[in-house]
Amino acid sequence: MSVLARSVGNAFRNKIRTAAVVAVLAVAIGLALAMLVANQAVVGKVQELNASVGTVLTVNPAGAQGFDGGGEPLTTAQTATAAAVPNVVSVVGMKALRLQTETAASSSTTGTTTQQAGPGGGPGGGTSVVTNLQAAIDAGTLGNRNNTSGSTGTGSTGTTGTGNAGTAPAFSLPITATGIGAEVDTAGKALNITSGTGLGDYTVASTKALIGTTLAEKNSLKAGSTFTIAGTTFTVAGIFDAGTTFGNNAVYTTLAEAQALAATPGELSSMVVTVNSMENVDAAKTALQAALGSGKADVTQGQRNLQTAVSSLDSVKNISLVAFIAALGTAGLIILLIMVMLVRERRREIGVLKAIGARNRTIGVQFVLEALVLVALGSVVGAAIASFASGGIASALISSNSTTAATNQRGPGGGGFGGGLGGGGPFGGASQLLTSVTASASPGVIAAGVVAVFGVAVVGALVPALLTARIRPIEVLRGE
Amino acid sequence: MIEVKDLVRQFKSGDRTIKPVNGVSFELEKGTLASIVGKSGSGKSTLLSLLGALDKPTSGDVVVDGVSLAGLPASKLTEYRRRDIGFVFQQFNLIPNLSAVDNVMLPMEFAGMRKAARLERARSLLEQVQLDPEKQSRRVNKLSGGEQQRVAIARALANEPKLILADEPTGNLDEQTGEHIIELLSSLSRDHNTTILVVTHDRSLAQKTERRFRLQQGKLSEETVRPRVGAGA
Ligand SMILES: Nc1ncnc2c1ncn2[C@@H]1O[C@H](COP(=O)(O)OP(=O)(O)O)[C@@H](O)[C@H]1O
Ligand SMILES: [Mg+2]
Repeated sequence: MSVLARSVGNAFRNKIRTAAVVAVLAVAIGLALAMLVANQAVVGKVQELNASVGTVLTVNPAGAQGFDGGGEPLTTAQTATAAAVPNVVSVVGMKALRLQTETAASSSTTGTTTQQAGPGGGPGGGTSVVTNLQAAIDAGTLGNRNNTSGSTGTGSTGTTGTGNAGTAPAFSLPITATGIGAEVDTAGKALNITSGTGLGDYTVASTKALIGTTLAEKNSLKAGSTFTIAGTTFTVAGIFDAGTTFGNNAVYTTLAEAQALAATPGELSSMVVTVNSMENVDAAKTALQAALGSGKADVTQGQRNLQTAVSSLDSVKNISLVAFIAALGTAGLIILLIMVMLVRERRREIGVLKAIGARNRTIGVQFVLEALVLVALGSVVGAAIASFASGGIASALISSNSTTAATNQRGPGGGGFGGGLGGGGPFGGASQLLTSVTASASPGVIAAGVVAVFGVAVVGALVPALLTARIRPIEVLRGE
Repeated sequence: MIEVKDLVRQFKSGDRTIKPVNGVSFELEKGTLASIVGKSGSGKSTLLSLLGALDKPTSGDVVVDGVSLAGLPASKLTEYRRRDIGFVFQQFNLIPNLSAVDNVMLPMEFAGMRKAARLERARSLLEQVQLDPEKQSRRVNKLSGGEQQRVAIARALANEPKLILADEPTGNLDEQTGEHIIELLSSLSRDHNTTILVVTHDRSLAQKTERRFRLQQGKLSEETVRPRVGAGA
């Protein structure tokens, strides 16, 4: 009979009480684990959102919305002004071109209604040119609807055309062509070139281009293949993968080449400005706006509304963390009280053990082990509770905290945060992201939680275990 | 050999101090079976707890084979209880949810003996105290009082102590069972050459011991020595 076997035996001495203790512990431990799972899910989501919000600012000509409107174009000279703003690490000039497919060009009378730029962050002020490429994406119901009504809105507020909806020609989403000053996409992210090479020096004109994977597939293009834009033959230098269908329906040329194609040398349709850290984004945005002049340029943070989501998720994160710690503390307290009770109850028996020569350490270990047996049982039941309850708890926490956030989603730039991906369907805004936090009880998180529970249990059991050291062996004679 | 030197133990109850042990001195040779009689509350248990290092004297000393308890730290006193002393109590004081064998093995476990050796010795001790072999694995709270006291005596013998201290070992037993227990203690003291000090208020049981002490008003006096009465002999 070892100390452990004796502890296990002691844990089951009073079966009814053991069952009651385990049940209470299971509730506390289950709650703690559920809160931990919710917390981890939210932490993960916040990181994901923060990464997507990034440190990128987009500068458009003042008043520009997509390809329409706008006052004075941006110039290459302004990139230097932007670069001089504190905390700005890089400025990349962009020149967007509107590529019309040959079929669209022939069926279109105005040449402007086919464009659906992404709101807010989309490249603005493009010049329409014809290409022999086929767009990789059909517009779908919404695109057609928006096309028919000629809306340049957010992709979620289009009104249905009355007369010509049924007669509109089959419509494909336009191909985005952008001249880039560096090997980054329109959101400032480095391009992921999956085959072929980059364009080398992005500041000189060259008839090489980078093509998105879906577009390349649709047009059977490989590195080395050719296609035409405005009658010029371009060679595909490389294929990139932007990670989204819309992002891959795009062509990139060098900045100088795009400026030449549009016959607007020195002009930019947008600048992508990268700031050195998340904390400095707001300050840099203000400084950049001031440096460029509010009458000349609009500085936007494309995924602004995500921050609302992040901050509301942050509060969920904090609530769940506090609840986790509180539930953990409760479990520890339960252990403490139960063990104090057991030590008092077994005073005499502890005296017997000391009278027959048990060391204080042996007795202390025996009590801690007994507490751990109870906690182990509580953890098993608690983990089961947590794995059923955590999803519900997480979504209850999130929905109660995101109500305010969700109603504030519609920023002036429109609801989408697709940032220049062009008519990419109606994202529901940050509220959708919030509900997409799925709190699944991952074994790793549960295991970490159980480790924490055991840590707390040891601490909770230590005090009573140390109390046993103060019980004197003379207790054995009590009542004799 | 046990030497007791001018032991005093006083308690404060309210503003009164009582001295149930007030200057007790005696010596016991190895292998002696001795008894202490005295009225209830005369301090017999107090004296025994001082001899067994369950309690510390107000003054005086106990010297066991030349080692003085007075100077020993707590850890050494624990070791003394484990190695040199075996206790037998009126209320048996076994661990109720353990089997007879497990109870007897406990002191050996505390002494660090290997499991197989513990089990073998526990079984042999339970045989010596004449516990039914089939009751060895039974939980002790399912055993009768006499059987529990046999288990307790086996436990006291576990680490081959120099001194067994028995505090009214027959107090909870009927007369006949009590007599068996005393005979058992007597034969053990002879067979193992172990010193045994039994506290009892049963004069007829005390008659069967080699040396008989009486505790009265804190002082110990010895009755006339008479030849030892062996168990069944
Ligand atoms: N811890 C204590 N505190 C105060 N008084 C005590 C304590 N232990 C024993 N006594 C007193 O000492 C006296 C002797 O007790 P005890 O040794 O148990 O007597 P006996 O075993 O002979 O019946 C009694 O009066 C008892 O109340
Ligand atoms: Mg007594």
